[in-house]
This record gives sequence, structure tokens and C-alpha cells, in this order.
Amino acid sequence: MIEINVDKEACNGCGLCVKDCPMKVYELKDGLSVPIRSANCMGCLSCHEICPAQALEHKGVYPSKRYYIDLKVAEMLGKVI
Amino acid sequence: MTESHIEQMNEGFHQGTVFRAEQVPFPPPPPADLQDTLHGLMKLNGLIIRSLEEISGRGANAVTYRAGKKFGHEVAKYFRKIDNVEEALEELSHILRGQYTFEIWKPADSSSYIQQENGTTFIYLVFHDCIVRQTLRRNGQEQGGPLCQTLYGYVVGAIEEITGKKAKIEIVHTGPNACLKKLILR
Repeated sequence: MIEINVDKEACNGCGLCVKDCPMKVYELKDGLSVPIRSANCMGCLSCHEICPAQALEHKGVYPSKRYYIDLKVAEMLGKVI
Repeated sequence: MTESHIEQMNEGFHQGTVFRAEQVPFPPPPPADLQDTLHGLMKLNGLIIRSLEEISGRGANAVTYRAGKKFGHEVAKYFRKIDNVEEALEELSHILRGQYTFEIWKPADSSSYIQQENGTTFIYLVFHDCIVRQTLRRNGQEQGGPLCQTLYGYVVGAIEEITGKKAKIEIVHTGPNACLKKLILR
């Protein structure tokens, strides 16, 4: 099962993850996103990508192949970041 | 095929990988020369699809769906014929692994993989590794467009060929790591 953690310090309660998730995994409670149906998460990581606060962490997700990433660019970015 | 068999197959997709916001887990890179070829091919495919869309508009979807379906029929005609759709999907997932790795999926609160809604019967499929998604993201193109239609056609063509039954695929959601599709059975 996929485990989702929301960084309460970082989450600004924008609700983008709530709107975007097709399986209604998240709900807004007291201005914060709460993963109430983690078991329904299929690991698409849309919420992970869309979150402006980078507050989400997923554990137990199958990592799809990402050969589209230009490793030369990633290496250069790695030196900067 | 029993549900426990599907669950056993699905276990392979549940890994301990942690996705943190600040990190992108890189898989081991392919050999450098292969990587250059792959990126060139992805760029070319993206440009073909973009041009097709510019010229044919929404008709591009029909063209790519048809191409994918033909490909699916062509590939699957050598497979053994199976009546059971779940079993056919499991076989197809095994054969396509690496290109289009997918699993048969159900929400946790659902008891069966075969779902019923508004009089239609369908099965959820989660596509993990996908050469189409990689191509689109390489070129900064939107997911769910004509190139995705080739994949729908491919799966539908292969399922029709294996089971002898008519099927249709609908997109439910696209994401950077996986996409959710509905295989509608007729």
C-alpha cells in the first residue's frame, strides 16, 4: 500500500491535490490537505507534481522509467542546486 | 484467473521507493549511444504527432488510434486465444513489460477487479512504464492527445485479438508516473 505524508509546515491548503486526484485521496481539513484514502492511490504522482509547496511525500510507489530526462541537463542542474 | 493471482502480480508494483519533493529518483541510464538514439527517436515521434495534429486537427486521434489498433491486432495474432479478459490482460502485461508496463487495478474499497457503473462493465488499468508518456514529456507535449491514442488502439486491438470480444479504452487520469485507464467491455 502507498503511504502519503503531507508536510504540515509546508502545505498552504491550496486544494490543488484535492481537485486533481481522480480517486479523491485528499480532503481539506482545517486548511490543510489530508490524505484520507491513501489506499486508493495508484501512484500517478500528479499531486506530487502539482503541489506548489512541495509538501507531499509518497512511499511505496512503483517508479516508472524516466528515460526522457536529459541526464546531461540533470547533471548540470545537480551542480547548481 | 483468481483475484489472488492478480494481487500476486500487482505486488511487483509496490516498491519501497520514496518520492520526496526535492528528489527525482533516476533509474540507471541506458548506454550513452542508445540514449542519444532514444532521445532522437522521441523527438522525431513528437514532431510527427505535432504536425499531424496541426494538419488533421481532431482527426489525428482517429488516425493514431487506427494505427495502434492495427499494431495490436498484428502483434497479438500470434498469442494463444483466451476467453477470460483478466487472464488476457495479465498475459498482455507480461508481453508488453518495459514498453507499456501495466497492472490491473481496483480501488481499495472495491471488491472485484471487474467494475460496474451506469450499466457499463469495465476494468481499471494503471499504466506505469510507458514509451508514449516518456516521449510526450521529453517534448513538453500534453498527455492524453493523439500519441496516447496509439496506446489505446494497441491495447484494444490486442485484447480483441486475444479474447475475440469488442473493447474500448477511456482515459481517466494522466500523471507523470502512471496513468489510469478504463477498459470498457462490450
